[in-house]
Amino acid sequence: MSQIVQLDVWHFALIYLLLLVVITVLRFTKINQTKSLLWGSARMTLQLTLSGLILTYIFQNPSPIFMALYLLAMISFAVYRVISINKRLNRRFRLIIAASIALSGLAVMAYFVAVVVGEHLGNPQYVIPISGMLMGNTMTGVSLGVKSLYKTIEDQADRIETLQNMGVRPEKLFLPFVRQAMETAILPTINTMVGIGIVSLPGMMTGQILSGTLPTTAILYQIAIMIAICTTVCLATFGSLYFGYRTLYNKRNQIEIGGAA
Amino acid sequence: MAAILTAKNLKFMDFLRFPDLSVERGSAAFLCGPSGTGKSTLMKLFNATHTPTEGTITFDGQDIAGMDTIDLRRSVLLAGQKVYLFDDTIRGNFEQFYAFRGDPCISDEDMREFLRLCCIEFPLETRCQPLSGGEKQRVFLAVHLSMKPQVLMMDEPTAALDKKTSRLLLSQVKDYCKQNGITMLVISHDISLVGEYADQVISLSEEACE
Repeated sequence: MSQIVQLDVWHFALIYLLLLVVITVLRFTKINQTKSLLWGSARMTLQLTLSGLILTYIFQNPSPIFMALYLLAMISFAVYRVISINKRLNRRFRLIIAASIALSGLAVMAYFVAVVVGEHLGNPQYVIPISGMLMGNTMTGVSLGVKSLYKTIEDQADRIETLQNMGVRPEKLFLPFVRQAMETAILPTINTMVGIGIVSLPGMMTGQILSGTLPTTAILYQIAIMIAICTTVCLATFGSLYFGYRTLYNKRNQIEIGGAA
Repeated sequence: MAAILTAKNLKFMDFLRFPDLSVERGSAAFLCGPSGTGKSTLMKLFNATHTPTEGTITFDGQDIAGMDTIDLRRSVLLAGQKVYLFDDTIRGNFEQFYAFRGDPCISDEDMREFLRLCCIEFPLETRCQPLSGGEKQRVFLAVHLSMKPQVLMMDEPTAALDKKTSRLLLSQVKDYCKQNGITMLVISHDISLVGEYADQVISLSEEACE
C-alpha cells in the first residue's frame, strides 16, 4: 500500500470550489436553495470540525464518562430529529421511539464491537464511529417509517372511520398500515445493500482504504457495518411502530391520532 | 314500546347539549334538525367512538360506559356519512369487511339479496372504484345491513340518491328491519322522507348548541 497523503488546509480548502459549481447549477435551474446549501455546508464544516476535535481529545484521554456523554448526545440528537420531523406524535409514542432507537442502537453496537471485532466496549475508537453510523441510518429509517405511518393514516381516514364503526379492533385496523410503514423504512437500507460495491463504494470502506487499510480488510468491516445498520434500522423501526401504534387508541378503542404536538 | 337507546343530560365538549331522548325498540326513528345541531355526533356517541363530556347513554338498559365498545359497535352499527369501499369487486368488499371483523363472510346468494334490498342489483364481480357516488353508497349500505345489528344507524343514507330510488331503498330496508327486529335510526334532511317512513321523529334544535 502507498503512503497516506496528508491533506494540508490550503489544498483541502480547494474542495469548497466545487460548491460554486452547485451554486451555478442551482442558479441556472432557478432553484432557490443557494442559501440552504451555504448554510448546510457551513454547519457541516463546523459540526465535523468540532466533533473531530472532541474525538481527538476522547481518543487521547479515554474515559467511560466522555464516551457515555458522546453516545448520549448522539442518541438524543437522533431522537430529537425524528420527533421534530413528526410533530403530531403523542408523548407515549415519543418515549417509545426514544427507547427503540437507544436500545437497538446500543445493543447492535455492543454486539459489533465486543463480539464481531473483539474489542473492549470501553474503546472509543470503535464504539463512537460505529454508533455514529448506526444512529445516523436508524434516524433516517425510523423517521421515514413514522412519517409514512401518519401519512397513510391521514390518507385513509374514511377507511379507518368505517372500520371503526363496524366494530373492527384497532390493532386489526392499524396493522396493515404499520407493515407498510415498516417496509418503507427498511427498503432504502436493503436497496443500498443490493447496490453496494457495484453502484457505490461506501463511505466507511473508502475512508479506510484512503487511510491505508487493505481493501480486503475494509470490505469485511463494510459488510459487517451494513448488516449491523440493517439490523438496527429494522429493530428500531419495529419497536417504534409496533409499540407506537398502540398509543393511537385508548382503552375504549377510540382513535386519538392528533396527540400533543 | 320500550326504549333500546336512551340519552340523559348528554353534553359533548362545550358546544353541544342534547335533550333527553330515547329510541324505541324496533322502530324506524329519524333524527332531524338543522346542520350543526350534533346529529352525526350523537350517532358517534351512541356507538362510543366519541365519549360524552357529561351524561349517560344506555343501550338495552345498560350504561354503555361499562360495555365492551367493540361489541357495542357491532350491535349499534353506524353506516357513516363518508362512504368507504375497498378497491375491489362488490364480492371482494363483502369479504374484506367481514375479514376485518373476523367473521365468516355471507354467501353469494345473501350478498345478492342485500344488494337487491339496497336497490343495486349489480353482478358481484363488478369493480367498485368506477361506480358513481350513489351506487357506492348503496353497496356500502348493503354491506352494513348484511351485518344484522340490533340498531342500524344511517347518516344521510339517501344523500346521493334520486327521490324515486331513495323511497324504494328506505321502504325495502325498513321492511327488512321490521321483519328482523332491527331498530333503525336515520339522519335525513328530506322532510317528505321523514313524514313517509318515520315511526318516531327526534328533533335536535339550534338551542342545543351553545
